[in-house]
Amino acid sequence: MISFASFPVQPDRVSNSIRRFPDDADDMDIDEDDFEAGGSKITWPGESITSSQAYMRGHGTYVENEEVVASVAGTIERVNKLVTVRAIRTKYNPEVGDLVVGRITEVQPRRWKVDANSRQDAVLMLSSVNLPGGVQRRKLESDELQMRNFFEEGDLLVAEVQAFFADGAMSLHTRSLKYGKLRNGQLVTIPPILVRRLKSHFITLPCGVDLILGLNGYIWVSKHVKENEQEGEEGFDAEAVYSNRNDYIDDSTRTAISRVANIIRVLASHFVPLTDALLLEAYEWTVENDTDAKGLMSEDVGDALVATITSRG
Amino acid sequence: MASVSTSKAEVSYIQSGLLSNPPLRADGRGLYDYRTVSLETGVAPLANGSAHLSIGQNPHDGGGGTEVLAAAKLEVESVDPGKGEGMDGGRIVCTVSCSPSAYPHLSSSALDDLQHDLTTLLHQTLAHPSLHPSNLAILAGKNSWLLNLDCVVLADAGNAHDALFMAARAALWDCKVPRTRGVEYKAAAAPAAKVAESGEMDVDRDAEAQQSGFDTRSIARAVDFELPDYWDEGEVLGGRERWPVCVTLNIAAPPPGSKGSLVPYLDAIQQEEAATPLRLLLVFSFPPATSARLQAMRILGSGELESDQIRAFVGTGENYARQLWDALNGKLRDEDIRRGQRARDRFARR
Repeated sequence: MISFASFPVQPDRVSNSIRRFPDDADDMDIDEDDFEAGGSKITWPGESITSSQAYMRGHGTYVENEEVVASVAGTIERVNKLVTVRAIRTKYNPEVGDLVVGRITEVQPRRWKVDANSRQDAVLMLSSVNLPGGVQRRKLESDELQMRNFFEEGDLLVAEVQAFFADGAMSLHTRSLKYGKLRNGQLVTIPPILVRRLKSHFITLPCGVDLILGLNGYIWVSKHVKENEQEGEEGFDAEAVYSNRNDYIDDSTRTAISRVANIIRVLASHFVPLTDALLLEAYEWTVENDTDAKGLMSEDVGDALVATITSRG
Repeated sequence: MASVSTSKAEVSYIQSGLLSNPPLRADGRGLYDYRTVSLETGVAPLANGSAHLSIGQNPHDGGGGTEVLAAAKLEVESVDPGKGEGMDGGRIVCTVSCSPSAYPHLSSSALDDLQHDLTTLLHQTLAHPSLHPSNLAILAGKNSWLLNLDCVVLADAGNAHDALFMAARAALWDCKVPRTRGVEYKAAAAPAAKVAESGEMDVDRDAEAQQSGFDTRSIARAVDFELPDYWDEGEVLGGRERWPVCVTLNIAAPPPGSKGSLVPYLDAIQQEEAATPLRLLLVFSFPPATSARLQAMRILGSGELESDQIRAFVGTGENYARQLWDALNGKLRDEDIRRGQRARDRFARR
């Protein structure tokens, strides 16, 4: 029922994780010779990268004594003469067109504030959501008065980054039938850097589980909804789209959701970037080894899982 | 307590999972499974006893999980009723503070309330006379030890109460009270006795009488104390195996109007806490050779329980508290051995 453990020893832990998971910067086009020869690709804050006379400093760096110095721990990226360091642990840096999963924090006049794991809360305007009674329709005063019927505090939603405000806050929109309120599942949070840009961020696993990989590190794991049963296929059904009620979820789906959620947690704790293929492979591994969601929480099983799928990949 | 922001759909997903048969939790644990608890004692070098505890911390990046630091510090206090609150036989004061980063959604006044609630619960339970350690007294009527137990909640990912009590128990278990020895100012022998002596020593005796200013009140007992061995850490607190553990039974209730029994479960994560309004806190102590003692009980949140149900839950809670107790004791002994080993290694290296 309960088991006690000791805290891990710090230095060991760091060196292990670096050795086991060579960073993805491998395939990037970095001119190694110009930078420090050999060694790991992960900088530490204060590490000098290159001469400031030959290169320009970008994000995550500063210049000291005519040298470009990293200000964060991360991977070095270079575009021509511009050197940047992409931090490993960071808030989500939004870009227009990104798919994000967010949570409503505040309802304000004609807009919602959305927590999307960014530096500032995102803004969802009333004019950028689908309203009942057709996609193209004027916003009425009555819509403003019943904003909480669409989204209220705490609600989760999937949206796309539409634009930025002058202060850097992002503006979201849910003007698509794929976007909107989330239900029938649970949220898993991982570092945003682990979510890669994929062709589609809506993934369906064959075990009856749908995944929405938000680029902000929020991942929604839910019951699979068949294409033809998705709300709003024919005409826009506001009742269903803004519903708070879950569908009936059977036990096997529920276990599958927990299992997928725990796989994501394990992969994130080992700092493995997520892709659909990787998730599928990991799920098959757990089925082969007859590991349930609870088993995945133990350290040994998690290590074994990650060792297997990273060696295959 | 802290209601983390959750959507209605999430709440209902968690509730229906708990109430289904067999019960299914969001992370796949059974109803009575704890997450892994990491514990380390002796983390604060300046404290007399300290512990660092986390529930459900990620073993690889150290993120997530509920994290609590507890430290016990002894200070000498005067028992004089005119000055301060000192009591003969010593006293215990517990304080809990919560890091604002653990509750980012709480306003500072709400955080103060939460700290106050936790402080009250911990203080009322641990400072109870039935648990009072025997060796906090220094000099009767003069000085005693004041044991300050300070706990900090560094992060809360659910089940902060259990973590807090476990950390408090570990810190108090680890607490060492310095050995003291009463010092008595030797007064010159009573005048009657002096007269009886032969007159040869007259001069000396007068000098002696002048030196001992304390003689005027002729106190024939210890008036101050000293530490016989400055480097010695001291002895453990008396009755340290009595410090209680807390088990929080989160009680998931079926929606009103539908049938079904209450489902108690342990070690809720924060989302589960938000989805389960009713919680029953049971603080148990299992002194050796006697039956279990329920040191404190609290019902948190809205909702009601019938007395029969409470009786049943107390029984269930005792069962799990005993398991928790045994596991924690085992871990504390391991920690004692580990630290002894480390100290020996360091000594050998020198």
